[in-house]
Amino acid sequence: MLSRYFCLPLLALVLFGTSGFAVGANAAESHGAVAAEQHEGVPLKPAILFQVGKFAVTNSMLVTWIVAAGIIVAAQAATRNIQPIPKGAQNFWEWLVESLYNFLEAIIGSDLVRKTFWFFATIFIFILFVNWFGLIPGVGTIGWGHDVNGHFEVTRPILRGGNADLNMTTAMAMVFFALWLVWAVQANGVGGVLMHIFGPKGESKGIMRIALIGIFFIVGLLEVVSILFRPISLSFRLYGNVYAGETILESMSTMVPALSWLIPIPFYFMELLVGLVQALVFMLLTAVFTLLIAQHEPGHEGAHH
Amino acid sequence: MVGSIHIGLAALGAAIGVGLIGMGASSAVGRNPGAATPILVQAILAIAFAEAIVFYALYLAPK
Repeated sequence: MLSRYFCLPLLALVLFGTSGFAVGANAAESHGAVAAEQHEGVPLKPAILFQVGKFAVTNSMLVTWIVAAGIIVAAQAATRNIQPIPKGAQNFWEWLVESLYNFLEAIIGSDLVRKTFWFFATIFIFILFVNWFGLIPGVGTIGWGHDVNGHFEVTRPILRGGNADLNMTTAMAMVFFALWLVWAVQANGVGGVLMHIFGPKGESKGIMRIALIGIFFIVGLLEVVSILFRPISLSFRLYGNVYAGETILESMSTMVPALSWLIPIPFYFMELLVGLVQALVFMLLTAVFTLLIAQHEPGHEGAHH
Repeated sequence: MVGSIHIGLAALGAAIGVGLIGMGASSAVGRNPGAATPILVQAILAIAFAEAIVFYALYLAPK
């Protein structure tokens, strides 16, 4: 029953993501020649497949669209005819959504999870399936290319792991940052948020408290820097992990040509794990950031201070 | 050359950090198996912060 809720935000996320792509792809256009020269390893940027006006469609965009459409169709099909005793696909989605809900509820509390669950579940499920989709053989190896030193080299693959593109991860981190600000203001008000960041903490009284105000103001300035750095570190962490994984798989399969079918196999299992852990980390970090700012006055379960 | 040393040192530090966090988390779960989920959350967060150093080094290293 809950799984219907994340179709809409997923769509919105993909739209946000693609608007991020459009900007990034335009910026990447001028560097297209650089990517074509690079034969060794996976290029840092996605390749442009075709252009609609000024809007460039890249191969990693295509992957995010395919995965989002797949999730939406699968969730809709599974919940079209809801049974009181779930089985099959409906059971799978209910298990996934309910386990996520209970897991998040234990971390950020029942009030906050009711309000923010749609975002965290969407981001987890989407990142997980995009990461795993990128591991399917053929992604990154089928496409247009040309002959290099007597053997064929794919320079413009038709598909590329969606999170192996900084535009997508940055778009997700920015969407979270905007939502974080909205949730923070909704929970504590503008003054409450400023007080949370700059205000003195702890149980001091009298002259000590006045002396501490200045110190906590400077601490607040540091806090602002750390908050502004969060979207950067969120997006680079996910991109770096997925991109590094693709590079490892590529270099392992080209290292010993005779054993190219055997050597990457252990790394595929590692990448399955990394894909899950990174989806979990992105969700957990965003959830904890939200908890830290949306927490009410100190004293209310002050576990995170 | 400079970039390689830069990334190598960051990777070394992050690996030590992740190892220490994993050690702490597993011994904590060993002492108190009931608290496995909160410990997992803390450990994953700490590991994420530690390993982020490598990515900063990767992107900031002089090429």
